[in-house]
Amino acid sequence: MYKGREGQWAFFLHRFSGLAILFYLMIHVFSIGSAAISEDFYNTIHGVYKSPIFSLGLVLVASGVLYHALNGLRIIAMDMFGWGVKIQRELWYVTMFLTVLGGLLTLVLTGMRILNGGEA
Amino acid sequence: MIRAKTYQNAKVQARSNPELAWWVFMRVSGLVLVFLVLGHIYMTFIAQNDIASSEYSVVINKLSQPVWKFYDWLILALAGLHGLNGARYSIEDYGKTQQARFWIKTTLYTVAGALFIWGSIGLFTFNKIA
Repeated sequence: MYKGREGQWAFFLHRFSGLAILFYLMIHVFSIGSAAISEDFYNTIHGVYKSPIFSLGLVLVASGVLYHALNGLRIIAMDMFGWGVKIQRELWYVTMFLTVLGGLLTLVLTGMRILNGGEA
Repeated sequence: MIRAKTYQNAKVQARSNPELAWWVFMRVSGLVLVFLVLGHIYMTFIAQNDIASSEYSVVINKLSQPVWKFYDWLILALAGLHGLNGARYSIEDYGKTQQARFWIKTTLYTVAGALFIWGSIGLFTFNKIA
């Protein structure tokens, strides 16, 4: 880490969210793919996900996907257009705002789902 | 890894053609994945919030339809490659020794390869009944 400004945090969060999403993708593919083995096997694995830790993880990884997607578009804008570099700081604040907004939405939806008795 | 702001800079910095190809791939696959993955999250997590979308019967029903097999397999392939290459950038940056970097990458690629096959089998096992 260096004493950078917004760009440093944008870079750090992009890496961190990217690695987290890859980790989630691997777990997700394993558990959905397990449906091909048997229904019991699938249900055994998915029973583990009823724990609140996984609900919280789902909210965090959904927010991570949103951040990674929006910041990725910001990176592409910086690569391709002059205006992308010029307003990269503003674009990062827009990214953060939308990430927090989307994160809160998934938090509410997950909370509602748990209250309705369904699994997250 | 290439730290460049434009294609021209990336071309100058690239140590090899594959490295430049990966730089381009990250942009192109990333742009496609924005729509594929956010659409996937919307359909399975937001649009059907009232039912448990991870229930066995719901998943089987969805994965027995050709369009979702193709959609999900496209995400599996693109996100897998995009994620692995991103992880490779991190390993090259933070891995302390040549040997450590080699073994972390070997392990990661092996696990990812196995999961790719596992996921593909899962996607192409179920066919629509009636």
